[in-house]
Amino acid sequence: MDKVGVFVCTGCEIKDAVKIDELEEAANEQNAAAFVTHECLCEPGGIAQIQKSIDDDGIDGVVIAACSHRMKQKEFTFDPTKVVVERVCLREQVAWSKKPDDEDTQMLAVDLLQMGLARIGKVKLSEPIKEEISDTVLVVGGGLTGLTAAKAAVDLGHPAVIIEKEDQLGGYLNDCKDVIPEHPPYDTVAANPIGQLIKDVQANEQIKVFTGARIIATKGQPGQFDVELQNGGAAQSVKVGAIVQATGARPYDASKLTHLGYGMSPNVITSHDLEKMITAGELICPGNGQIPNRIVFIQCAGSRDENHLKYCSSECCGTTLKQVASINRDFSDIECAVIYKDMRTPGQLEHFYQGVQESTHGMLTRGEVDKVEAHNNGAHVHLKDSLLGEDVTIETDLVVLAVGMVPNSADGHAIRELNDAKLRIIKNESETQVADATKLVESLKHHEGTEILNLDYRQGPDLPILKYDFPDSHYICFPYETRRTGIYAAGALHAPMDTPQAIEDAYGAVMKAVQCIESNARGEAVHPRAGDQSIADFFLQRCTQCKRCTEECPFGTLNEDAKGTPEYNTLRCRRCGICLGACPERIISFPEYTVDAVASMIKAFEVPEEEDEKPRIMAFLCENDALPALDEAAAKRIQWNPWIRIVPVRCLGAVNTVWIADSLSRGIDGIVLVGCKRGDDYQCHYIQGSELANTRMGNVQETLERLTLESERVKIVELARDEFHRVPQVLDEFAETIDECGPNPYKGF
Amino acid sequence: MNTMTKQPILVVGAGITGVSAALEAAETGCDVILVEREPAIGGRVLRNHNYFPKLCPPACGMEINTRRLERNSRVRVLTNTRVTEANAGADGWSVKLASAPAYVNDRCTGCGECAKVCPAKVPDPHNLGMNETTAIRSPHVDAWPTTYTLDRSACPADCKACVEACKYEAIDLNASAKDETVSASSVVVATGWHPYPLEKLTELGGGELKNVIANVNMERMVAPTGPTEGKILKPSNGEPPKKVAFVQCAGSRDVNHLPYCSAVCCLASLKQAIYVREQLPEAEVTIYYIDRRAPGRNEDVLTRVAEMDGVKLVKGKVGKIEQGQGDGLKLRLEDVEAGQIVETEADMVVLATGMVSNLVNGDLPMNLTKDEDNFGLDSLEQKVIVAGVARRPEDVAACVRDATGAAAKSVIAARRA
Amino acid sequence: MASNVLISSTSFREALAKKGGVTAARCYQCATCSSVCELAPEGLPFPRRQMINAQWGLADKVAADPAVWLCHQCNDCTVRCPRDAKPGDVMQTIRALAVENLSTPKFLGKLVGAAGSTWPLLIGLPFVFWIAFIYAVNGFTVPEAPLAWHDFVPHWMIYAVYIPVTLWVVIAILVSGSRYWNLMGQGVTRSGSFVGNLIPAIKEILAHKRFSDCEAARPRKTGHLLFLWGFIGAAITTALIIVAMYGFKTPLPLPQTHWMKWIGNFSALLLLFGGLMLLANRMKGGQSAGASTAFDTFFLFVAFMVGLTGILTEGGRLAFPPQIAAWMYVAHLSFILCLFATFPYCKFAHMVYRTLAMVHERMTGVASR
Repeated sequence: MDKVGVFVCTGCEIKDAVKIDELEEAANEQNAAAFVTHECLCEPGGIAQIQKSIDDDGIDGVVIAACSHRMKQKEFTFDPTKVVVERVCLREQVAWSKKPDDEDTQMLAVDLLQMGLARIGKVKLSEPIKEEISDTVLVVGGGLTGLTAAKAAVDLGHPAVIIEKEDQLGGYLNDCKDVIPEHPPYDTVAANPIGQLIKDVQANEQIKVFTGARIIATKGQPGQFDVELQNGGAAQSVKVGAIVQATGARPYDASKLTHLGYGMSPNVITSHDLEKMITAGELICPGNGQIPNRIVFIQCAGSRDENHLKYCSSECCGTTLKQVASINRDFSDIECAVIYKDMRTPGQLEHFYQGVQESTHGMLTRGEVDKVEAHNNGAHVHLKDSLLGEDVTIETDLVVLAVGMVPNSADGHAIRELNDAKLRIIKNESETQVADATKLVESLKHHEGTEILNLDYRQGPDLPILKYDFPDSHYICFPYETRRTGIYAAGALHAPMDTPQAIEDAYGAVMKAVQCIESNARGEAVHPRAGDQSIADFFLQRCTQCKRCTEECPFGTLNEDAKGTPEYNTLRCRRCGICLGACPERIISFPEYTVDAVASMIKAFEVPEEEDEKPRIMAFLCENDALPALDEAAAKRIQWNPWIRIVPVRCLGAVNTVWIADSLSRGIDGIVLVGCKRGDDYQCHYIQGSELANTRMGNVQETLERLTLESERVKIVELARDEFHRVPQVLDEFAETIDECGPNPYKGF
Repeated sequence: MNTMTKQPILVVGAGITGVSAALEAAETGCDVILVEREPAIGGRVLRNHNYFPKLCPPACGMEINTRRLERNSRVRVLTNTRVTEANAGADGWSVKLASAPAYVNDRCTGCGECAKVCPAKVPDPHNLGMNETTAIRSPHVDAWPTTYTLDRSACPADCKACVEACKYEAIDLNASAKDETVSASSVVVATGWHPYPLEKLTELGGGELKNVIANVNMERMVAPTGPTEGKILKPSNGEPPKKVAFVQCAGSRDVNHLPYCSAVCCLASLKQAIYVREQLPEAEVTIYYIDRRAPGRNEDVLTRVAEMDGVKLVKGKVGKIEQGQGDGLKLRLEDVEAGQIVETEADMVVLATGMVSNLVNGDLPMNLTKDEDNFGLDSLEQKVIVAGVARRPEDVAACVRDATGAAAKSVIAARRA
Repeated sequence: MASNVLISSTSFREALAKKGGVTAARCYQCATCSSVCELAPEGLPFPRRQMINAQWGLADKVAADPAVWLCHQCNDCTVRCPRDAKPGDVMQTIRALAVENLSTPKFLGKLVGAAGSTWPLLIGLPFVFWIAFIYAVNGFTVPEAPLAWHDFVPHWMIYAVYIPVTLWVVIAILVSGSRYWNLMGQGVTRSGSFVGNLIPAIKEILAHKRFSDCEAARPRKTGHLLFLWGFIGAAITTALIIVAMYGFKTPLPLPQTHWMKWIGNFSALLLLFGGLMLLANRMKGGQSAGASTAFDTFFLFVAFMVGLTGILTEGGRLAFPPQIAAWMYVAHLSFILCLFATFPYCKFAHMVYRTLAMVHERMTGVASR
């Protein structure tokens, strides 16, 4: 920015903590075009003053030295097309958390102002992008979820395309007679909505349906997906703006359930087999064609089981109750008994459980099924532990295994690894490489041909899997945020769920899809930096094709050309800056967040000489958790060490290691990175930012060794958003460690 | 490409559901009015310490949501505000909003000088009344808006201590309530829930025995900003417990109390068992259940806790809790797997109480159709969508999915002729 | 070949449902009922297990279950049941079915078991019998006042009817009782002597100790205690009179001031008050009373009527015209005959089955409360 004005608030104890005139000196040294103080900058009078400066003096860079950037955001918003605002935190980081009227405190305040001025000099206004955006929503999968989603898309004003691999629409519900209720009083089964839903979709002119179709390729990016599909012989292509993947789930392979008798008798069937018979109106034992007198349902068949599916499929308890009710209604002479581990009918489904028990005079027991054996024309189900006693056997004509569901997903990462390994074998560059690649191919072979979306993404052709093959979001608060922008999972593909939940999920996923299209049309990013209009800039002339950015981007934003040079797809980008942190050549930048800007901050303040015994510490704090937590600690007037200069970053993954080098070469004594937890229960809003930072800091340790610097000088600490009492502790402890290390020997070089 | 609606969408309730619905609608391009009766957003979830299954803090997601609210000019957030009248029309709704007097206004900088001098104490509603706080205060550590709040009725007569302490003219003790009538194309009702009252569970010692608390109380205790600064302590004597018993379905799945299942309590107790064991490695934890409801991938939480040292899961609903030795508690149940009546002792009991829809109060003046359990039902024709626990008991992830879908449905309803 | 094959009886499930136990279907095995039952022994809790056995139609298990009769139907469980599965009613229905199924001969058990519809027969037949018998003997000639009953219905007629009937029902209940005793004893070891454990059990029953333990049913305790002692008193009175008649040749009728009359009248009052209390409790309804099925009301009604007609007969002999008093007496005799004859086949049999269950409990060392 060209004309920078500094506006200092003296309220909130700032003027008691620091000498304002020294701040003015620092501002003048940096050629600030204006220096204004106000005793309450956020009140209308203060804002008016700033606005006046902007209007009268043509200020385009406003440095507000006051409270945390998280406070008074609306007040300190000026025309974003003309003005960049830089917040220097004199309140939380100085006035509230340091000794007032103290030399260290004063030096800190001055340094922070200089850092702010340095940064604002290096940032630019964003130019919002204007791209051609398709307003069509692609729905992959034409079952209950997909059909609901397509209809909702149209109701939201967006045309939809459905691609269904079978020859007819309807999916799993085509085989069903009744469904679990979603309306009160919840105590009986509900009518299957799929027939009407199919009709509605087929009659809707805004929905284009391709059945018997598969996607050959999905090229491009959200807003500009070019989808090539094949149905029948012909290849077609559609342009879509966002994708809802609703490919559903399939029943677990019962042939693996030999311990439950599947395969040893034709009278041991799955709940899916049973459903088809109920729908057909003819319920007989497959073994002998007779109508059964009794059916025993075995719940959790192959679910909640270490040797099969570890998770619970959520709907089988409800489905079995539904089937018991349907049978009671349509085949009233058949007695149904249910063996469960737990009856999972949460929420209002409890009324369904109760209603079915009552209307069908249900027979249910908890029990561990030990063995299922053929007996006469039926089976003996042996329970080793049950509410009916230890060691009991139940005689029955038909056994129904309530099997769980397996999502129809494709493991994008695994397929990519498989393909890359195959390429390495072809390339044949070294024997060991080929040997390793061959082993990898062997272990990943089962992913062959499983592609669904066939994304033309360097990181893989499908959504990355989260856990147990579900491409879910990792976030409780943001359940639709899959790792591919503009592609949302819905229904049983998304998570184990029943039909009422799938209908709800369809609406949610479609809303996100439409939101993505609308955001792109406005030139804005989506979650978590919703509204961000900036895009990354790649200075490719200096790219060395190291491929770190391509690999480390959590969202697969970057493709690769033949040489390995990254191709940036703006509309896939979430603006996290992890690529910026990865690039060893520092060629990536965002208008308001560049390597140079932060490097300038590091170089902006004076590093005292060794004799002054005033160490200097850089603290890179993630703006999503560590910094807010620190704000909270400051609000409670918790104090921490004044040697620490804080730089807020978008994500620890957006920390470039050159900043470590710059800090150390300046004589700064220590660098600490504070951010979110990594690991299986990661809290990083960009998936792997803190994980990457941790790895990179590991590499930094090697550099430290070479420079004969103590490894303790660079540290990464993880904490959670609510651990406000820990952040000051972490900073103080680090300051102590640095003190013990002694001054950086490179000071004064 | 126009998904905007003629008038804003009104979202009633700014808990996780209302906030999510408002943001999803706004980021899609709609104008939204988000109304909340408490002074800050966040509702019940900000009273949680951590969410299951990841044991992550609610403030983490709420931080992002707060940022989204700050930066989105399409959402107008009104706290300390209730809906007092709602009239359905051909094009949507005409709604009267009553905002409580803004004794503390937007000029508040959060400096905290007023709270330092406030002589009056009130039970802290954020801590469920488990401790006291000053009448003028920040609603809680994660409060947004950050403006302080004042319980005017607690002020001693003629006291002006806070006004005198405030340097920014942010306090006006004579402020008056404000009414406003707004038009909305459709309404999302996200009024959430309150915990089933402990006092109704007298057979389990609820409301009578000191060391019998509810799951929501345990959750507050473990939070670092809670009434005991994060320490699990017995209410009777402030000592940490040695034997903690969790009683599931305390008032849920019960025709004598709440006939439905509250959906989250099994997982909440499993999570709290982890809290107890992490903080008190010597403590014995027993969870007494009817069914272990950890559906979906949350089965992993059950697996993890069931295998933990010091934790036992026993099938058998506790029928009676009485005073035991000293300030201890005596529990009576049948251990179903063993087939034995068990009389056991614990020094703290956590009743896993359920969720009651706030619509039961009947103070939302909309002709909402409710089911027998006071959960609200959608009506696309009436352009009212119910989301979150106002619709059904469900966990946070499900609430947010629901809220996102509700945003879609509210726009769809608004677009209907 | 698998052991422990569960025999689930559809007919048992249907009978249970029809007879008042249909709510067993609602049970979800939470065990609240067992945990609030003050009578459930620690090692043999009930009624949760009985609920699931009933749900699954495990007639054999239920028939051999002592817990079924240890239950005193206080209905604490029904009050607390979160599913409204009414375990108290289910237990009562199981008892009704048990009485029916253990009956010797079976058809009488079924006949009395269907009292809801067969009560006209069960009550009417004794009436018809006595009227016919008296008519055959003396043309139904009512003597003049002052009335002495043996002038209307000589004692030999009383003996001719009640002794064989009593013998019959005693044999019948012994057969049924021992069948139950054997069923309970399957696969279980008992220690100690039967008599040795019977005496303390009887002492406990006379004091109604167990009744006090049930919270919801305090009113029933008093009513039932009075009722029981009223009966015992009446039996003692009868025995004393027989001894007086044949041992001491005392002439009848006894004067009103005779001490035996006092015992008799006092017993009658106990019967009356106790019966009224029990009836009132049933009529109040509600969960703590439990459902009143024919199984309950038939027995209660007949027993109460025995008491009532007895008082009316005694008073009537002195206060009413002989014709009317005579009908009172006929009614009294008929209700007694009905009561005796249905003893092994109606709720009255609980006297034996419950006692047996309590003795069994002591002998199997299942920890009592």
